[in-house]
Amino acid sequence: MSVFEKIQNLDRRIIFVTVALAVILPLFFPLKLPVDITAPVQQLYDVIEDLPEGSVVLISIDYDPSGAPELDPATWSVMRHCFSRNHKIFVMGLWATGVPLGMRALETVGAGEYNKEYGIDYVDFGYIPGGAIALVNLGRDVHDVCREDVYGTAVDEIPMMKSIKSADAFGLVLSMSMGVPGSDQWILYYHARYRGNLATAQTAIGAPKYYQYLQTGQLVGLIGGMKGAAEYERLVNKYGLATIGMDSQSIAHLLIIAFIVLGNVIYWMEKRRKN
Amino acid sequence: MRLRIPLAIIFVMGIFTIVSHFIPAQPVADLNQTFRNWYIGIISFFIFLGTVNLARSNSEKIKTRARDWKYSIILIISLAVMLVAGFYKGRTSMEEGNPFMYLYFNVQYPLESTMYSLLAFFITSAAFRAFRARNREAVLLLVAAVLVMLGRVPIGAAMWDGFPDVTEWIMSFPNAAAKRGIRLGIDLGLISMALRMILGIERSYMQ
Amino acid sequence: MHKAQSASALLIGLGMLIALGFLPAAGAGVNEAVPAAGPDSAGVPGVLPPTITAIEDTPNDGGTSIDITWEASPSEAIAPGSVIEYSIMRSDAEAGEFENFGTVPAGSTTYSDGGLQHDRPYWYKVTAVGLDSEAASEVSGPGYGRMQWFDDGLESVLALTVLICALIIGSIIYARHKSGLMYLRRLPVFDAIDEAIGRATEMGKKVLFIMGQLDVDDPQTVASMNILARVADRTATYGATLDIPCVWPMAMSMARETVKESYLRAGKPDEYDEDDIYYMTTDQFGYVAGVDGIMMRDRPAANFYLGAFYAESLIFAETGYTIGAIQIAGTAEVDQLPFFVVACDYTLIGEELYAAGASLSGDPVQVGSIRGQDIAKAVFVVMILVGVILRLIGIDIFTEWLAIG
Repeated sequence: MSVFEKIQNLDRRIIFVTVALAVILPLFFPLKLPVDITAPVQQLYDVIEDLPEGSVVLISIDYDPSGAPELDPATWSVMRHCFSRNHKIFVMGLWATGVPLGMRALETVGAGEYNKEYGIDYVDFGYIPGGAIALVNLGRDVHDVCREDVYGTAVDEIPMMKSIKSADAFGLVLSMSMGVPGSDQWILYYHARYRGNLATAQTAIGAPKYYQYLQTGQLVGLIGGMKGAAEYERLVNKYGLATIGMDSQSIAHLLIIAFIVLGNVIYWMEKRRKN
Repeated sequence: MRLRIPLAIIFVMGIFTIVSHFIPAQPVADLNQTFRNWYIGIISFFIFLGTVNLARSNSEKIKTRARDWKYSIILIISLAVMLVAGFYKGRTSMEEGNPFMYLYFNVQYPLESTMYSLLAFFITSAAFRAFRARNREAVLLLVAAVLVMLGRVPIGAAMWDGFPDVTEWIMSFPNAAAKRGIRLGIDLGLISMALRMILGIERSYMQ
Repeated sequence: MHKAQSASALLIGLGMLIALGFLPAAGAGVNEAVPAAGPDSAGVPGVLPPTITAIEDTPNDGGTSIDITWEASPSEAIAPGSVIEYSIMRSDAEAGEFENFGTVPAGSTTYSDGGLQHDRPYWYKVTAVGLDSEAASEVSGPGYGRMQWFDDGLESVLALTVLICALIIGSIIYARHKSGLMYLRRLPVFDAIDEAIGRATEMGKKVLFIMGQLDVDDPQTVASMNILARVADRTATYGATLDIPCVWPMAMSMARETVKESYLRAGKPDEYDEDDIYYMTTDQFGYVAGVDGIMMRDRPAANFYLGAFYAESLIFAETGYTIGAIQIAGTAEVDQLPFFVVACDYTLIGEELYAAGASLSGDPVQVGSIRGQDIAKAVFVVMILVGVILRLIGIDIFTEWLAIG
């Protein structure tokens, strides 16, 4: 076996170890690279900034722990921005396994950092079953779909819900999404009927799909992956896990590019050798 | 007759769902709401059925000492523990000592995010093994991939401040155009499949 | 099909009439604001009262909502920050008791009051709420919520829906009356299916079939079932073993029926084992872990990934590659296609998944529906070109008509 063939058949475990080192080492030796702001994230920031103070922002937790490393930082940053502008936050989710993530975010950011009061400044309705079908009805009659909050309190007993009846009550709807049901359903079933401001935060793999909706105006903003979350952390001036993760992501991307280049160099050299 | 009733139900429900999208009137919306509640009830029942099936099939494996039966013990115990924890205090807040939340954040959270992170390793090994510049199109693909990878991380912007703009252009134009085209085709396929189901032509799922 | 023919003709006619504007969209009930004489609403000095300018039916709804519009309290301009919020007060009698039914922040000048009964009169007051004072507008009304029977913001959507359905149904009708099968480009994957199962049989190893993450209400899963029927037919014929771990219990039930039917057709009902098709878990990564475990332990010779896949696609494909399995994939999830294309031997891209099911069935009607899809796609291409050209020369009427809302 030639040298080239040996490299081409490199044990995958060596590749895995180098990836692990590329991700772990920057955590101990941070590069502190500045994060640039892209237009889709800036657009979302501007929308929240321009909403009248006290507007209601719906945040839908459409992800589970597997997407949390990318989407939790985005969720927390957006909540910080909303609370700093004295907007009210209405949390729900289309994923049952995402409910504790929403609860934790609200308790940590809302109650912990901004001293907001549950039922007055924010409310959490947890998991809403039915996916797309639930969204069709949500915009028409919020109280009918969200009958009790995540703690079992009836919707009519929550002060904040008095003025939230239908889609018109929401200044912005934000789907933090990593699959189905998620942003697709919000766009196709909710926004198509009820219009209004709709934005999304996606894992990095899902983000490219939503640029087409940004162009048509169906989305007013897009946070893509951990990079998007890091951009939003910079905009709200509160740095967290996304910013910390950017150094690791930078090195990992360079490593992948290096492997692609190496693989192609070996491929072409082997091809020439055989010819 | 055995097939006609389900086909008739599918036809009526399919047409109603399409038509109700265009009719905001209250009677139609109320009927929609009723059907939604039925749908949720059916789905909930099937989730329960699945859990029972899961417990039953794994219990059978333990009883007959089938291959990998020890993993079935772990599964049954995990299922029971989460069920008990959930019924006990699953619905309350993030208070200390809530066993459900403890298990969620200390077991499920790290397990699931670890599984998702496997993609980083797999994409690297796939990139090394399979991303070859075999022809012109592949070269174009690789160049675009490298540009996007550099533009989506701060180190790319540090190397050249044009990388993020190039990346945004690639995402907003070639990427969006391609996604839109593929999406149109897929959605037409979806409509065709749905029509076949509504009209009773597609019946494979009814066997 | 007689019902389908007349239904499609009706749909075509209706769609054309609406598109050409001969049928009006259902009218919205519009009620101009009629300020009613009422009690003095100057309020306590401090903030000044707003003025209601319009009370109108919310368009394109079920008659359960009324839009209230007002001019902001002059205090917002005179002393910014003095007004905290506006309270929307409603009564079902002009001189009746008014209750607060909504609150909006200062700066707002509209509110949609929902949860109403259609065709009932309602009267409104808007109260500007300051730190120490409040001031209510004059009573305005009555406003009525009117039910609409057609959402006129969706005209273009209806027209396109009718057009696409007509093309597909028309092709189906044509296919039923045509002798022989319509031409459909043969996909290489069809031969690959037989090759993969043959290889698994020779090696004495399993065939692993993954139906995707979604339940049977998703068309990708239904398409996957169609192909499963063919795969099961082949495994029954060749004597190979199928392994189908399922994400959803309903999908499991339907897969069992599909496979059982295939084994019956192949004349091998005794070789059908329902335990080969089993529910694993609905949790995405729990399922990934389980399937990866099966691959590493059982080393199937052929892996089929057909249906809706998400983040797990590359994990499946790479693991399958490392065990040396022949891999055939197909999904309509655009984000996952690159991973399957890179790591699998054959990939059905997007709508090819739907077409494959129809094509494998050999049913001329199903093939006809695929042709209808292709014609609809050609129509879309023409529409896109026309729209782009018109926009370039400054004519927006076509693109504006297509926009929703």
